[in-house]
Amino acid sequence: MKMTPAFLILGGLLIFWTSTFIAVILPAMTLGDEPSAIWRPREADEARGAQLYIDNGCSYCHSQFGRTFDWGLGRQRVAEQGDYYAMQPVILGTERWGPDLQQAGGEHPDGWHHAHFLNPRNTRPLSLMPSWEFLGEKNIEALTRYVQSNWGTLADERMARQRHWETQFVAAYESGADANVAFLHANVPPTWRAMPNPYPADEAALQRGQLIYQWYCIACHGEVGDGKGRGGLATFRGRPAIYPPPMNFTTLRRNLIEDKYIGGIFYYQIMNGITGTAMPYFKHELTSEKIWDVSNYIAVRFVGYTDAGLEPRGIEASYESAGDDGENKP
Amino acid sequence: MNRRQTIFRKPNSAALAWLLAGAVWFAMGTTWGLFSAAHLIAPELFDNISWLVFGRTRPVHVNTVIFGFVAPMLIGAALHYVPALLKTRLWSEPLGWLAWLAWNAAVASGFILLPLGITQGREYAEYIFPFDVCIMVALVLLIVNLVMTIATRREPLLYVSVWYVVGMAVWTAGVYPIGNVMWQPATGAMPGVLDSIFLWFYGHNLVGLLLTPLATAAAYFVVPRVTRTPLYSHTLSLVGFWILLTLYTHIGAHHLLQAPVPNWLKTLSVVDSMAMMLPVFTVLMNLWLTARGRGGRLWRDVGGRFVMFGLILYFVTCVQGPLQSLPSVQRVTHFTNWTIGHAHIAVLGFAGFIALGAMWHTLPGILGRRLFSTRLVSVQFGLLMTGVVGFFLVLSIAGLVQGTNWANGNVEYNTLPMMPPYMILRGAMGLLIVTAAWVGLYNCVKTIRRKERATELATKPVANSQ
Repeated sequence: MKMTPAFLILGGLLIFWTSTFIAVILPAMTLGDEPSAIWRPREADEARGAQLYIDNGCSYCHSQFGRTFDWGLGRQRVAEQGDYYAMQPVILGTERWGPDLQQAGGEHPDGWHHAHFLNPRNTRPLSLMPSWEFLGEKNIEALTRYVQSNWGTLADERMARQRHWETQFVAAYESGADANVAFLHANVPPTWRAMPNPYPADEAALQRGQLIYQWYCIACHGEVGDGKGRGGLATFRGRPAIYPPPMNFTTLRRNLIEDKYIGGIFYYQIMNGITGTAMPYFKHELTSEKIWDVSNYIAVRFVGYTDAGLEPRGIEASYESAGDDGENKP
Repeated sequence: MNRRQTIFRKPNSAALAWLLAGAVWFAMGTTWGLFSAAHLIAPELFDNISWLVFGRTRPVHVNTVIFGFVAPMLIGAALHYVPALLKTRLWSEPLGWLAWLAWNAAVASGFILLPLGITQGREYAEYIFPFDVCIMVALVLLIVNLVMTIATRREPLLYVSVWYVVGMAVWTAGVYPIGNVMWQPATGAMPGVLDSIFLWFYGHNLVGLLLTPLATAAAYFVVPRVTRTPLYSHTLSLVGFWILLTLYTHIGAHHLLQAPVPNWLKTLSVVDSMAMMLPVFTVLMNLWLTARGRGGRLWRDVGGRFVMFGLILYFVTCVQGPLQSLPSVQRVTHFTNWTIGHAHIAVLGFAGFIALGAMWHTLPGILGRRLFSTRLVSVQFGLLMTGVVGFFLVLSIAGLVQGTNWANGNVEYNTLPMMPPYMILRGAMGLLIVTAAWVGLYNCVKTIRRKERATELATKPVANSQ
């Protein structure tokens, strides 16, 4: 076969456009265009935030679609075609350094996002995300509105719940330290309130707990557990970004349940978070032992007391030695 | 005025301009890559410096190395060897310069506008509309120039390198406007998920129909020349050429296997991704058999060595690529640094190495004088080889660590403490690559500025052999 110029160019064009017809023109003709059940149009400030998301290359580290086998953000619901109705462009993302953001709306209250955008290490000590303080508060607010709208109507439901509880927790915080703790404890299910930490608070456990504290907690609660970490001190529009502020653990000594229990409350709050406050849930990130260990760490180091090993307790786990309760002297 | 006219009309001057632009953008683009890598080691290194924030340095890096380094360097070599293979001169040197100007305006726009946050945001399609037009103008001018060069040729047969270069131009002139959705100037995007189908048709074909044909063409030119053997098989050339075009064009959807796009499109992309091994191995076999028994000549030649190594990495890329298009493999590798490692051996390892090889091979012929330093070319080769292979291995391992962790329920944040060793090694490998780029630029500039009489070389039949 001889390659003449005409054969080369015309043949090349014929095959190229046939293949292109299959790869893009056919999908364009057949794909259809229907919004999904959770879709809603973006408001003006959300659209501005979406543009900032594009302009600043957020999509190079955050994807925008939940997959069948995801475990973190994005696992609640597998993405559907209609979720992206009328969006232009649709940047699904190619790399994940941070979480998938398609379902991020309402996961955190606005204040958490403000502190996080100013400097991500304000809330997430290990984050590799750049600080966006240079964008200015107006743009950070627009980005926050955009993230909070991700997941459409289901995000709106979450935001309504965040706002409902935020009002209550702000009121509780402003009514004084003891009343605040009483309100927080009252919203923990009774079974958790009267539950001691079932893990021994030995030195190895406390070291593990310290690592978890440094990786997940220290940004807000601070080096000495007084709630004055960099996130706790961050300000947005002249006010504390995170409000009510992070818990000061050192005041909890006088707030034990029945004068002895605190471990179950720690576990529940870490696992489930406190919706309406900047305290996130860690149930996707931390397994059971890690949560109990960091609970013991907070209890021993900052409260000065742990209920590890108190009754009620069952048979010791096979690896535990009898009476191995660590520092549990009230 | 008269003098300027002679510069723009001088034979091979446009080719030289494209090559030099490639060398400059290689240095700039990889430097910006290193800035991006630094973010992943120390996220507050450039704290609150807007134009150096990761989300803005990464697209500068990616666009500059593709549109600034690899493509122009290969086009520059082609503007030299296409007329040479056709036993004629480039039809119009000024037209080659004009295309150069339009093309490099787009690359430069990326360096200025992307750091300001002025972007269309879609990966590889970030240049805003006016500069999409620049790229299209450059492509059309290249097509006219190539076609007219063919029309005025004195060699009746079209060598395989010519096919690929012409193919690249006419196909990219189709891929680029579709991928950038140029009929929607404001967003450069389609509405809804369809946008992602357009984007990945485009993203994949930038490698497939822009870089791959150019690199293949350069390899087909350099290998037989350096080994001083005729091409092994015309038939294999034909098979490789037409199958590449048929298959490559519709495998872009393998970037979307886990996304909500139609299943038939995913199936098509996976099947044809696997089938891509056919044209790749056909081309590699053809070149391998051409060089059989004469590998030493390739290895000892400064340009040939780059091309040889580029072809080895082409093999690695094109075994890895089809395998990672399989859904079960992607469950682990997707979204991780594994993919970034793959992108680097494809663009830098395969196409980039061949581009550099083609530059070092053609530069003496274009300038009529020897290279400033063949030792510096070897230094560049050593740095680059270590850098890109190390980079690929480090990121592949990092990707497997991320991917297996995520698949087993350890979310993204939990894998961050595992990453520093890999990211530090990645930065170190990046430093080798950046150094190699600047060494190459220095050598290139010194060669161009070198005062050596053209006649000195005219007596030597093969300019580049040592």
